[in-house]
Amino acid sequence: MAVNPTHIDHIVISSNDSSTVAKTFQDNLGIEIKRKMIRPGTSAQLAFAKLREVILEFAGPPEVKPGEEVKAKLWGMVVAVDDIDASVADLREKGYVVGDPTKAVQPGAEIATVKGGTSGVPFAMIQYNALPIEGAQ
Amino acid sequence: MKAKRIDHIGIVVKDLDAAIATYARNFAFSRDTARGGEVPALGIKNAFMPVGGSDLEFIEPTSDSGPVAQFAKDRGEGTFMLSIEVENIDAAVSHLRGLGARVGDPVNGVAFVSMKSTHGVNLQLVQR
Repeated sequence: MAVNPTHIDHIVISSNDSSTVAKTFQDNLGIEIKRKMIRPGTSAQLAFAKLREVILEFAGPPEVKPGEEVKAKLWGMVVAVDDIDASVADLREKGYVVGDPTKAVQPGAEIATVKGGTSGVPFAMIQYNALPIEGAQ
Repeated sequence: MKAKRIDHIGIVVKDLDAAIATYARNFAFSRDTARGGEVPALGIKNAFMPVGGSDLEFIEPTSDSGPVAQFAKDRGEGTFMLSIEVENIDAAVSHLRGLGARVGDPVNGVAFVSMKSTHGVNLQLVQR
């Protein structure tokens, strides 16, 4: 069983001012920001847009500190997989250090981070419908 | 202007063949052998691995100058560029310039937006 990613699920753009960067992409490129949230347990703001099946995630503090220049960078990517437990097990067998799957901010999804061995690309895997969605009947 | 989709992510690597082999063997990405190769004008060689409706483009510098070589010197390997497909490249460039963004002239359906206009994100626009 290999990882077998189905698609790039999201691409992360990190910055020191996620609101401004998301607004720049929205205003200049017509990329509509559909959702904003504070990452649970942190003060980081996440803003999400979607282009076909790929989510653009703008992550970072909600606003820049006074006097700082807004700086952003293309960070990493998350690929969608059908079976995150099997994917994690497969990569560990190949010698990768992979975090345990944890609850993602997307309802019902689990995410696991691959630590190294990806040509310098911060890399994670996500499986939708991995967990019961809270409140669903 | 309306962005249509993520066309590809550019990833700078030190050894193109090794990176492709790693992503194929360990993650089951497949190389599109119909595309990629040496691009002397840009001082790179590249290879593409499609995943879903987008591509990963792996880029190895083959010269000591240019943005890819500079990225490799500064950061080694990693995510280099985001490429977004637009309906009409000329219209997109005009639109962005009208908003005050610095954008290069389109060449073969591709234009680069200055990182000063994207807060530091290396952004490419492409018309397919």
